[in-house]
Amino acid sequence: MELYPAIDLRNGRCVRLIQGNYDRETKYDGDPVEVALSFADAGAGWIHVVDLDGARSGQASNRDVVGAIAAGVSPVRVQVGGGVRDEAAALALFDQGVARVVLGTAAVQDPELVFALAGRHPIAVGIDARDGIAAVAGWTHSGTVSVADLLARYRDGGVDAVIVTDIGRDGMLSGPDLDGLETCLAATDTTVIASGGVARLEDLANLARLESGGHRLGGAIVGKAIHEKLFSVEEAVAACAPSA
Amino acid sequence: MIVVVDYGIGNLRSAQKALQHLGAYAVLTADPDAIGAADAVVLPGVGSFGRCMESLRSAGLEEPTRRAIDRAVPFLGICVGMQMLYAGSEESPGVAGMGVLDGVVRRLAPGVKRPQMQWNRLMRTEKIVGAVTQRDMFKGADMLRGMEPDPWMYFVHSYAPPADGPYVVATCDYGGPVAAAVVRDRLWATQFHPEKSGRNGLGLLANFLAS
Repeated sequence: MELYPAIDLRNGRCVRLIQGNYDRETKYDGDPVEVALSFADAGAGWIHVVDLDGARSGQASNRDVVGAIAAGVSPVRVQVGGGVRDEAAALALFDQGVARVVLGTAAVQDPELVFALAGRHPIAVGIDARDGIAAVAGWTHSGTVSVADLLARYRDGGVDAVIVTDIGRDGMLSGPDLDGLETCLAATDTTVIASGGVARLEDLANLARLESGGHRLGGAIVGKAIHEKLFSVEEAVAACAPSA
Repeated sequence: MIVVVDYGIGNLRSAQKALQHLGAYAVLTADPDAIGAADAVVLPGVGSFGRCMESLRSAGLEEPTRRAIDRAVPFLGICVGMQMLYAGSEESPGVAGMGVLDGVVRRLAPGVKRPQMQWNRLMRTEKIVGAVTQRDMFKGADMLRGMEPDPWMYFVHSYAPPADGPYVVATCDYGGPVAAAVVRDRLWATQFHPEKSGRNGLGLLANFLAS
């Protein structure tokens, strides 16, 4: 299981929100490129970057920083989400060296965009849910589409991965929703990446062991726990290994 | 064995790491005998032209590097490592380059932000300059084989060799055409950093290893 240390960008700086609430933000010191490099040097094979400005407004305001991160950590790969609402925005990210683009709002509201890109380009669908219902636009709006619906919709669409985030657990260090993730693993053959709630190395070990019908998680995104230094990235990479 | 020439100018690890990521046996060394025995040589370079040339010389590595080029061992100069192949640079008047390629490295056009520190699109010169020879086009194709027509690469520089030089196989646009890549037989050189350029950069390095 791959570790995906996360960097959230707002105005070109690393931040973390609690439960996706833009008014509950913690700023972290450190140039995002340096932070990403420290993750790469510690053994992470991927970095997960969210453009929080883009996610809320649909504008890609942190593009240059994203490009610098992708170049800085190369050959470690970067997946980026936040505000990608049309093909041009996705392609612009690939031109910045991004290895996979995450579509969140579009996955709920614009499936045609997902299908137009998936299969030709490396795309992940971000399913961010509160109580089983997918939220959109930087989690500021809730819709009526369920997680189960989205998993079914994108099952055979050529999407590289599905990222499942429990908004209620995001930034709360409350542990991941293992039952919910097991259900997701059972519901789709697409690679599933878990996000939200990891607080202890044991959480990562539990995620690495999770399995349903021979299907295991492809990755775990960890944000706050790493930025709060609850454990090191080296320890986290080790905890994600299957034998852990 | 791929030798990445270590002449004491700072972070060269990323070039070595990228090559190792591709499975190559790449070593960072200042040993002239290792350069002499290498199957391929990579000359990185960051910082000022003058400081790089002086460091290369004081490390006693200019001659071994030149000999490797003369031996026609596959050679890749990166960033200032490309610039050092030329006769000199406006950045450091009075400091001679290796003079392997004719021409003087010049500052980027006035009116653009320096350094160019961004991803930029490569344009193969067959699209721009009709006078490029068939042989140069073929060699350029080797370097960029397997990539889309206009691959994006990552640049960090304030100076560049002449864009209309005889061996330039690709340029980028930054206030006008800027030399991005040069090929002369087995001598390759890039102004951009393939080791920072994600999948496209790895593709170029893989092509280099296969050359």
